[in-house]
Amino acid sequence: MRLIVNGAEHDLTPPSHETLLTTLRERLDLTGTKLVCGRGECGACTVLLDGASVYSCLTLTAACDDREITTIEGIGRDGDLHPVQAAFIEHDALQCGFCTPGQILAAIALLGDNPNPSEDDVRHGMSGNLCRCGTYPKIVRAVLAAAERIPPNG
Amino acid sequence: MAKRFVTTTVEIEGREETKVVELPSRDPTPWGNDAELSVVGQRVARMDALEKVTGDARYTADIKVAGMLHVALLRAPVACGRVTSLDASLALALPGVRGVLTVDDIPDIKLDGVKLFDQSIHYVNQPLAAICADTIELAERALDAIMMTVEAEPHVVTAEQALAADAPRVKPSGNTPRSSPRIMSRGDVDAGFRDADVTITREYRTPTALHTALEPHGAVAEWSGRRLTIWESTQGIFNTRRDIAKAFELPLSSVRVIKNYMGGGFGAKNGASHATYIAAALAKKLGRPVRCILDREGEQTDAGNRSATRQRVTIGAKRDGTLTAITLDATISLGIGGWLAGPARIYHELYRCANVRSSETFVYMNTGAMASFRAPGSVEGAFGLECAMDALARELDLDPLELRRRNYARHDQDRNRPYSDKHLDECYRLGAERFGWTRARDAVPDYGSRIRRGVGMASLTWGAGGGPPAYATVRINRDGTIEVLTGAQDLGTGARTVLAQIAAEVLGAKIDNVRTVLGDTERLPFASNSWGSITTASVGPAVRVAAEEARDSLFEAAAGLMHTEPDDLESRDGEIHAKSSDACMLIGEVCEKLGDVMIIGQGSRGPNPDMTAISAFGAQFAEVEVDTETGRVRVLRIVSAHDSGRVINPTLAESQLEGGIIQGLGYALFEERVLDEQQGTPLNPTMHDYKIPTIGDIPSIDAFFVDAADTVANHTGAKGLAEPPIIGTAPAVANAVANALGVDVAEIPLTPWRVLALGARS
Repeated sequence: MRLIVNGAEHDLTPPSHETLLTTLRERLDLTGTKLVCGRGECGACTVLLDGASVYSCLTLTAACDDREITTIEGIGRDGDLHPVQAAFIEHDALQCGFCTPGQILAAIALLGDNPNPSEDDVRHGMSGNLCRCGTYPKIVRAVLAAAERIPPNG
Repeated sequence: MAKRFVTTTVEIEGREETKVVELPSRDPTPWGNDAELSVVGQRVARMDALEKVTGDARYTADIKVAGMLHVALLRAPVACGRVTSLDASLALALPGVRGVLTVDDIPDIKLDGVKLFDQSIHYVNQPLAAICADTIELAERALDAIMMTVEAEPHVVTAEQALAADAPRVKPSGNTPRSSPRIMSRGDVDAGFRDADVTITREYRTPTALHTALEPHGAVAEWSGRRLTIWESTQGIFNTRRDIAKAFELPLSSVRVIKNYMGGGFGAKNGASHATYIAAALAKKLGRPVRCILDREGEQTDAGNRSATRQRVTIGAKRDGTLTAITLDATISLGIGGWLAGPARIYHELYRCANVRSSETFVYMNTGAMASFRAPGSVEGAFGLECAMDALARELDLDPLELRRRNYARHDQDRNRPYSDKHLDECYRLGAERFGWTRARDAVPDYGSRIRRGVGMASLTWGAGGGPPAYATVRINRDGTIEVLTGAQDLGTGARTVLAQIAAEVLGAKIDNVRTVLGDTERLPFASNSWGSITTASVGPAVRVAAEEARDSLFEAAAGLMHTEPDDLESRDGEIHAKSSDACMLIGEVCEKLGDVMIIGQGSRGPNPDMTAISAFGAQFAEVEVDTETGRVRVLRIVSAHDSGRVINPTLAESQLEGGIIQGLGYALFEERVLDEQQGTPLNPTMHDYKIPTIGDIPSIDAFFVDAADTVANHTGAKGLAEPPIIGTAPAVANAVANALGVDVAEIPLTPWRVLALGARS
């Protein structure tokens, strides 16, 4: 099968039960995507599948043939950060950082669907991503700030 | 110069320890409130944020070493009993399975009083053996092929069961530790109660709470000859090194422990864990690197917890609110082991009262061991004490804040010593003002409506002085960039950033040119565990001394180049200026001229002041809305005022406050490990069933500091701040619920069914 991850194509033959999370972390060494609960309860493994956020721990790799996957490694690098990443830094919306990749991808998906969210929209849209350090107030601020910064045409 | 070694007292997680300390090479003038500081106190952005937002930050579970194998653990299915047979031969025959580790393969290692892989079973999910395979999936599948039989024996999983007369023995020595009950007493409580106009007695219960760090305990181990390298998610690299070296009979210099990033600790990762020993032992046995990371169920059931408590409190007071006596009779559920973090201490410290007596009975039972969890003991104790203070205020018809102010403790009464500094009164004043306490209190709850609003508050104290030993090296490279080297850990607290700010302040360097390197026992000087909110106050002064030494060398070198004397120089924002002329050089220019001469400063943390209590304080206010039909509690807002001395970085410090408050909200409203008492099995070992707060649960939070340098505590003026905010949150919320409903609240978490059972005044 063909997996397109962050724009790069990979020819893979994973077992049919392999999760996208395992493929990303163990086969492709993309360790920015984190395993926390492994059962769709925490959002730490969130990635984008054709632009929509999914829990990679509940997504089978075999179901992603020819589809575009974006992980945190494909979002933005130093000097070319995505506005959501920049806003997370500016508003200190992270502490230990373990949930941060998932939070950022969830925020990008949210802003893709709703470029001008209210605070309630952000709380609702980000409620599938747990943070034990308690950075939530700053995540709300960062996502709202990023929304202001992202040009309307995306 | 001769070194002088003295002893000093250091408080860690509520325990005082005597430490030997080498007097530092210099004792800088403390940075007082009027010190002119340009980097310390600034909202510098978190230094490792870029790595964290790009996914570059490598945590222990992300470490890959060529040839690395993976581990799954066989765990006990019953709470008490013994393994009668264990046969892994079928599992070993499976493809990709490389080995098994049993009790016969490992040195005698005890964790929380239980031998690793003990074939006597002491709690559900106790590790019994480990299996190692090419992938984690193969290892987990192979577990099913291990043939094991166990014989169950009677167990106890609640304090009541464990303390019953005919209870089965959890440990050969009995169901309480030798030092239990622990009695602490001052004055004469009987006389105090005789003097009281009013006496109240209440009983409070707090739950077993789980740390639920997103990154579980885990380690990667690799042997090279006789040397062992461990990557570990730990709050204490040097403690982990000590534990591993001891178990495997290695010199300390043969063990290297590395921790760069970690996904939360909250107190549970203070030395080698099951995963560390198992990874190291399997790597040794199989001759290949091994990664052992707990799965989520393992993390939630066998990696520590906050002890459940029952607290029976009696308080006597004069009609005007003056406290005359406090007694506490507490039972603390340790589980199979752990240390004695009781709730009593805050009862002795928070208020002025001549007569206080506490008794803490610690109980062993067939459940996972306790581990330090953010302000262990005082979180539990504050719930009992602060709810009882509100009950007393109702009895006296006094404003709860006024009652607390009337019993302001001016010194550490148990040990009869002064505080280094204390601004709890300012926390009360500013917190009440920002919350609008008086107006909110005066608004009588509408007892006729379904949705009730209420307000409550609580105060807090926590030992937060830090102390020695802690060492730091500051070195300046030929391009003028500066490295701060110290073997501390950044758990996500911001230690990396804060320590760099201190060095930049001293050196007059641009903060962007300073980098802090942490978490490597082989390359860095000693710093203690990052626990007990001690890192800034312990390591910060060592960094300041090291940076001063480096600055003196830098100025010596610069003076020659600038044709002046070193004491004519000052530096700021990356430039060295002469005071007597307009001569000026960049730090980088000076260093470039020196070539590869390396400027190095060494620093250490000096002793704490003698006979002085160093504590943080705070006052927390909550407003809630309670739905009397559904029992749902919504916290609307929290105002949290803190005295933690000087704040080095307000943004990062506020993040810590918010984080502590949010964990406190979880403790108040949702978090509770539930056990099947018949089987002793944890019923909610997942993140779906063990409820931590989500982004939707968060109220408006106004958390701030009374920013007052504590110049007696240490020469940076900073004290600990990470644990205090969790201490008063739950009682403030519970008191607000009590205010809303007009009834006492005696138990958390305030889940809907508990709230409905409280009833409501109508």
